[in-house]
Amino acid sequence: MKRTVIPFGPQHPVLPEPIVLDLILEDEKVVEAIPTIGYIHRGLEAMVERVEYTEMGFVVERICGICSFMHGMGYCLALESIMNVEVPDRARWLRIIWAEISRIQSHLLWLGLGADAFGFENLFMHCWRMREEILDIFEKTTGGRIIHSVNRIGGVKRDISDSELVAIVAKLDELGKAFDKTAKVFASDASIRHRLSGVGVLPMEDARAVDAVGPMARASGVRIDTRLTGQNLYDQLEFEPVLETAGDCLARVVVRMREVRQSIDLVHQMVEKMPKGEGLPIETKVRGMPSGETFTRLEQPRGEVVYYVKANGTKYLERFRARTPTFANVPAMIKLVKGCDLADVPNIILTIDPCISCTER
Amino acid sequence: MDKDSFLARVGEYHKGGWRLALINATTVLAADEATPGVFEVTWAFAKELEFETIRETIGQADAVPSVSEFFGAAFLYENEIRELFGINVTGLGLDLKGQLYKTATKIPFSHSAIRARIEAAAAAAAAATVKKA
Repeated sequence: MKRTVIPFGPQHPVLPEPIVLDLILEDEKVVEAIPTIGYIHRGLEAMVERVEYTEMGFVVERICGICSFMHGMGYCLALESIMNVEVPDRARWLRIIWAEISRIQSHLLWLGLGADAFGFENLFMHCWRMREEILDIFEKTTGGRIIHSVNRIGGVKRDISDSELVAIVAKLDELGKAFDKTAKVFASDASIRHRLSGVGVLPMEDARAVDAVGPMARASGVRIDTRLTGQNLYDQLEFEPVLETAGDCLARVVVRMREVRQSIDLVHQMVEKMPKGEGLPIETKVRGMPSGETFTRLEQPRGEVVYYVKANGTKYLERFRARTPTFANVPAMIKLVKGCDLADVPNIILTIDPCISCTER
Repeated sequence: MDKDSFLARVGEYHKGGWRLALINATTVLAADEATPGVFEVTWAFAKELEFETIRETIGQADAVPSVSEFFGAAFLYENEIRELFGINVTGLGLDLKGQLYKTATKIPFSHSAIRARIEAAAAAAAAATVKKA
């Protein structure tokens, strides 16, 4: 049969960021997909050659505007591990509170984009309205809506007062109730089911074979979540990853919806368990030059991120590398696209929640 | 590197149910320009809570074998280290033929490219000092 090549991207209504997939078609079926990235490759990792390690965290945060808090946190954790820095307890709790709030805003952003892609404008507006309220919390507590610059090697730059934490929990509760109504539409609307149910199925064994991570893997029933390592105080919380088993586009939506609710619950637990009181230390002063190397893992909204840092005793790092979840999920995306109908490609690509800025660094 | 023993070790990880978490390369510059530098290539594997690595140090002209026969997702990392570091990877599962990244500098993490950037930064700093003085 004659094959046709259709370029998908770099600009496409479902793509907030540029990526190209050369789709090779036989009739309406995709038989091959060749990815090309690099349209927004900024060479951020190479900046370690000329940006001091104390300043590099601000660069790392700018890898991506959606995951910026956790990129900053991961970088600081890596340096703290190399330099054997003990971070004050309150700072550790504050970090994971912000991290879970980041997960909520990222999932709300994605759910909105998803709704927009499958033609449900109203749902898109609801999700993004709720996300604005989360960004208000960030603005109030860190000073920034997108780039927060609140992580420092040794702790955090700003505290959140106990009364403010209580107000945040109340706000999240209120938001959770509003979100439940929106979630009900995602889960039950016939047009959404029609577009997503049974489409782009990634069975559990395939998800394992392509080393998928995050909601992508969990929607296929793979129990994988870096928070299960218990690091960063997650061992003190009641936590079990959200799993679905259908492995289709709808399952990936449902996992993220349930994770919004789970993150609200985790913030509740964190505020309850963290040390209370005004004036508690939130930062350990760090002196000297780092020497050594480490790998650090975190569970970002899109899945596991791995940071590698190598330091040589000077103010410039020898190597910084971030392996982001979208990068790890590209092979799964290619696998899903092969064999599907051309009309389903946009939804399949969107449901991996691709973050191209993260992928390219 | 001993290709056979390396692939045997990777195969053991695969058999043991580990997943490929990362393949990373680091350009290690020699103290002076006349001495050739090397690359450190690291394969990282994760299994539930565990995380382990295999590290190989290779010369600039050396090749590393692809691990695609064990880990289907390896092709992306391998195309990346080939395009960004110029490391020759043999037996790629999917050869993207240099199309993965669009970089202004060809092979931006090669020894010569890094050295050129460091020298340019030093020259810019020196010029700034003179201007200030």
